[in-house]
Amino acid sequence: MTLSIGIDVGSGVIKTALFREEEGNSEWLARYDARIRQRDAYQLVEESIDEVTRQAGLKRGDIHYIATTGEGENVKSATGHFYSMTTHARGALYLNPEARAVLDIGALNGRAINMDERGKVLNYRMTSQCASGSGQFLENIARYLGISQDEIGELSQQSTNPEPVSSICAVLAETDVINMVSRSIPPSDILRGIHESMADRLAKLLKAIGAQGVVMMTGGLALDTGLVKAMQDSLAKHKMAATIASHPDSLFAGAIGAALWGGFRYEKLKERGLLPKAS
Amino acid sequence: MRTFIGIDLGSTTTKAVLMDENQAVLGRGITNSRSNYDVAAAVCKQEAKIGARFTLFKNALGSGGGAEILLEDLERNFRLEQFLSELNQLEQTCENYLDHPRFKDMKSALREALGAVFRQIETEAPAIYAPEADRKSDFFRDIAGSRFMDIAERIGRESGISFESLLNIYDKSIIDVESLVHSDEVVSRQLMNGLSRALKELEGVEVSEADAQAALKKVIDLELEETYVVGTGYGRVRLPFPKEHIRSEILCHGLGAHMMFPGTRTVLDIGGQDTKGIQVDENGIVVNFQMNDRCAAGCGRYLGYIADEMKIGLHELGPIAMKATKTTRINSTCTVFAGAELRDRLALGENRADILAGLHRAIMLRAMSILSRSGGVTDQFTFTGGVAKNESAVNELRKLIRENYGELTINISDESIYTGALGGAAFAYRAV
Repeated sequence: MTLSIGIDVGSGVIKTALFREEEGNSEWLARYDARIRQRDAYQLVEESIDEVTRQAGLKRGDIHYIATTGEGENVKSATGHFYSMTTHARGALYLNPEARAVLDIGALNGRAINMDERGKVLNYRMTSQCASGSGQFLENIARYLGISQDEIGELSQQSTNPEPVSSICAVLAETDVINMVSRSIPPSDILRGIHESMADRLAKLLKAIGAQGVVMMTGGLALDTGLVKAMQDSLAKHKMAATIASHPDSLFAGAIGAALWGGFRYEKLKERGLLPKAS
Repeated sequence: MRTFIGIDLGSTTTKAVLMDENQAVLGRGITNSRSNYDVAAAVCKQEAKIGARFTLFKNALGSGGGAEILLEDLERNFRLEQFLSELNQLEQTCENYLDHPRFKDMKSALREALGAVFRQIETEAPAIYAPEADRKSDFFRDIAGSRFMDIAERIGRESGISFESLLNIYDKSIIDVESLVHSDEVVSRQLMNGLSRALKELEGVEVSEADAQAALKKVIDLELEETYVVGTGYGRVRLPFPKEHIRSEILCHGLGAHMMFPGTRTVLDIGGQDTKGIQVDENGIVVNFQMNDRCAAGCGRYLGYIADEMKIGLHELGPIAMKATKTTRINSTCTVFAGAELRDRLALGENRADILAGLHRAIMLRAMSILSRSGGVTDQFTFTGGVAKNESAVNELRKLIRENYGELTINISDESIYTGALGGAAFAYRAV
């Protein structure tokens, strides 16, 4: 039996998952997600570890492997660190065994990852240089429109006349939105327009890596039903041989992948008698 | 008298310049932009007229006999009058919001708390406008807002009223108060009251009370006819002007820079949301230009975002960056990523001033690439826009100009924020 914790340190949210691995069966025992806001991320990581162990009725000493991913390279109490590509691929496969590609949209970045049926990363592409179309960006837009995060998806899908937008700078979005509002464009059309422009950009990423089959959306924006719908429409429009899937636990994909890879590495080390000291 | 007005509706501030028949600038006005462009234009036009009345009053008084002291004091006291009357409006508006069913159960407690907050701001007001007092902003929204937050937080703690409720009432009310434009009558009264206050507290002024009052009354009664108004700026699409009264920002900035510095051949304007490189000929006519596409990296909002990240005022950035011992190299282009990089670097214990110097250099590097795409930099070079007030940004720009183009004359005017409006006023003059 192996107990492992995966921690996905994002720029907006820290996701933590605790797994028990026994004879090839992985059991997800506990989870926790915390928004960083203005707090110290490393302190929040420690709190998250305490929280999931508490939920599972365990102590820190019981945990065999603590794996970080994302921006968690410098977490002191971690046993090891895994790259985001590998953890998201593994996590997506856990949530949906059919998945052959991942589309991870976090607070600042979007990422498309191609993988095989065992979760091995074949190739990937990232948006870089610009935060437009990221989670943070969409959050700002919602704030300017005075609507909450969980209303975005539904509103977007009510749109009858999407307002076309070219890519909007995440920082200058406020004035663009003010201008749209002053032209009396309803929030639903603004949101759908933004979803469509994001989806077209992300579809290009998927095209670039040659994604085929089921594409699993991971990260915070996988829960935005409006974006998921826009993604599906965009793939159909571009006649791509891929379908979009999401999962209620998509937010945890990175943390799940880290926990599973951590447990796997622990088993391997154990076989070779090279066990690390659990912290 | 006939006047010609240019209005520059920017993304952050709206500026107006008022000229007389001899193309002499009589008054300048500035206000914070708001979602209602008509109001923003009307408010800054009124401000420019106020500025013009001050100039005319100054000319009427002549020099000597303590006239300068009187003028300075009049202006301060007028601003205080203006502040108090807007504060009064804000209080009234807040009171009205208390009738909202949401506040039904706590109405009297909220009323008491609000009253306490406003009495406190009123008490502080004379100190805010005292001689030599340092104000972080001249806009009512900023001054009243920051005082309201501080005091409401304290009073909320003491009385157990939720700060969020007070803030919510304030947020709703300030929008209403900001959409009001003061009528000429109100302004006249404020000017006269300001003069009475000034005369009360002044010594060493030889101008008699009766003379001063008569002179000011005469200036107030003078009709400033809006002979022609030209609008320009970011709000282009939605500018509250008829089509034939709109000129492009590029033309206005080119002409405005030429009027301030006739030797200008290259203009760099860094505004809130765009950066322009403009080449002009000897008459101030634009021959080539380049603008950044809608991206905050390389314009004023970049620094605004950084200031917000660090929880300091925009005007504090430059002075801190000037203390740098070296310039940190910033790797991110995007404003949001630069903000994240700033956080990471601070967390690693790097020097704050050095990072800030690096961020100022980053914005200027973007500006340099726009300049080179617009046709390079030719002597004389004029730097305009809000960022020209930031000494660290100017410092980095001078270095980059020297490295890339050698020794050139670099013009920066204290009034550079009015460049676009000045060009607009000149076009208004030419249109008649």
